[in-house]
Amino acid sequence: MALLDLMIKQAIEVCIYESCLALNSEDWEKFLSFCAKDKFNYRITNYSPEIKKEQCWMERNWQGLKGILDILPKHNTNHSPLTRHITVYQINPTNTANVYDVVSIFSLYRTELDGLNSHLYSGQTKLFAVGKYIDQIRVDSESFKAEFIDRNVVLETRQIDVGSHIPF
Amino acid sequence: MKETIESGSKSMLTKAGQNTGSSKNAKSWFEKPKLPETHFIETGVYTNPDIFNEEIEKIFNKVWLPICHESELPNKYDYRTTGVAGNKPLISVRGPDNKIRTFLNVCPHRGNTIMRNPAGNLLNAEPSGNPKNMTCMFHGWQFDAMGHCVDIPREKQGYQERLCKADIGLREIRSEIAHGGFIWVNLDDNCESLSAFVGDSFDLMSTELDSEPLEIFHYQKSIIPTNYKLWHETSREFYHDYMHYHNRATGMLQKGYFDRKYSVFDNGHAATGLTTVTYDAYEGSKDRHLTFPGMPKNGWKQLNIFPSCTYSLRASCLRVSVMTPISEKETLIEIRGLGLKSDTPEQRQERIADHDTIWGPFGRNLMEDLLAVQNQTAAMGNGSNIKHLLMAREEDSTIHDEIGLRSYYAEWSKRMGKKASSL
Repeated sequence: MALLDLMIKQAIEVCIYESCLALNSEDWEKFLSFCAKDKFNYRITNYSPEIKKEQCWMERNWQGLKGILDILPKHNTNHSPLTRHITVYQINPTNTANVYDVVSIFSLYRTELDGLNSHLYSGQTKLFAVGKYIDQIRVDSESFKAEFIDRNVVLETRQIDVGSHIPF
Repeated sequence: MKETIESGSKSMLTKAGQNTGSSKNAKSWFEKPKLPETHFIETGVYTNPDIFNEEIEKIFNKVWLPICHESELPNKYDYRTTGVAGNKPLISVRGPDNKIRTFLNVCPHRGNTIMRNPAGNLLNAEPSGNPKNMTCMFHGWQFDAMGHCVDIPREKQGYQERLCKADIGLREIRSEIAHGGFIWVNLDDNCESLSAFVGDSFDLMSTELDSEPLEIFHYQKSIIPTNYKLWHETSREFYHDYMHYHNRATGMLQKGYFDRKYSVFDNGHAATGLTTVTYDAYEGSKDRHLTFPGMPKNGWKQLNIFPSCTYSLRASCLRVSVMTPISEKETLIEIRGLGLKSDTPEQRQERIADHDTIWGPFGRNLMEDLLAVQNQTAAMGNGSNIKHLLMAREEDSTIHDEIGLRSYYAEWSKRMGKKASSL
């Protein structure tokens, strides 16, 4: 592999893993700093074998995502932290210069805090969801800064308990 | 001086002269509320497993329940498996005559589940059977889309003249397609008609539901540790809008919110009439441009069908929520989102986006409701923590009046043969 390819690969992996840490620590500002403000689109999708259709359960651009994250403190919610584990499996160039398709697999765990009967369950960790991140990442050819221009969270898990106010 | 501390404090007056109430000792905590018996419920209604079993027998085995939408079976030989009344397994099949029939999804031979997928098409080959038929994988008995038994492997050798295909068939369930294209079933062969059961409750949204075909675009389900009635009640009282930031911003703080009227109908059905929602009052949200036929822009109507179904029509999208009680503390909640079958791709995308803002697993409201109802069940425990819940708000049948809850329990009491306030 050429040195340039290695640097691109490293930049993409840093973007994926560092942004994952930001999501895990609910540092929304930092997560959004990895997303192209002018172009980023975020979706949560799945295929329902029940209705035999692709479904979209959430779609926001950068501003829209920022909006719902900013407003979180006004909502009653489950504050149990979510922990994402990600492995990057594929990085492939696209027809657009400096843009790459990236496929990662994630598992997402929820450590109970205040969702249900904290006296019994707080501190328990359970697998909450599994799926794939299908990302498009743009890498600056000079600075090697990588940023998301598209993320599709493709869920395998379709029963999401009571749901989630925060993105996966 | 020795001081004795007793549980239960006296009420106090604030500086403004208002009575703040008092904490309670055990005796006073469990006392019946000093309200009419129609205005409170005994918690055993939600926690007692015997009551739950009685509800299945006296209510769920006898009422009409929607199980899925006709657009989930668009083609001949499509099928959809579901369950009702404590999860009795059902299968709905669109036959070669285009008619949808519903059967108990149980093989009459040895009681196995016949079709195991949530949905599919009988024309697709299965390892155990011929196309066009429902085949039990266990011993290969086959049934056509009308429920007739069409093959028993080695029939003559095993049963001689004692039993033949003609003697065998699937248990067909009474079903009707109505009210926006939903498939309704009733396990009681001798039940009243669906139209008699719903009465005139659907009149308030019949134009929206039945002017043109609808189509499903959203399906989600979750098994929630709560009693089914608690979930249904979140659609029957709007006093809990205090919990939802979205509803406070777009509704409670807007002109006319408190004028919205609640209507109750025969057989325990109840509806909240048309209101207009200021969707753009929620940060990042916007006006809804699309509607349903006859529905004003940004309108919202909601209809609750006894005992476990809610139609909520928010301008551009219809949400139908159906509860299947699994036990007294476990409920399967299914939520469907629908638009018009005639939607362009752009219109459909807009409806989906509108739907997911509030509902859906990542919507703003759904999680708040589900958190509340599962915590109600956790807090009640086996019913020994709290004895009575209130449904006593009276506000001239307007939005925070709890008349929707009272009408539910009037019907519940009639069918169960006992008062919900004193089991």
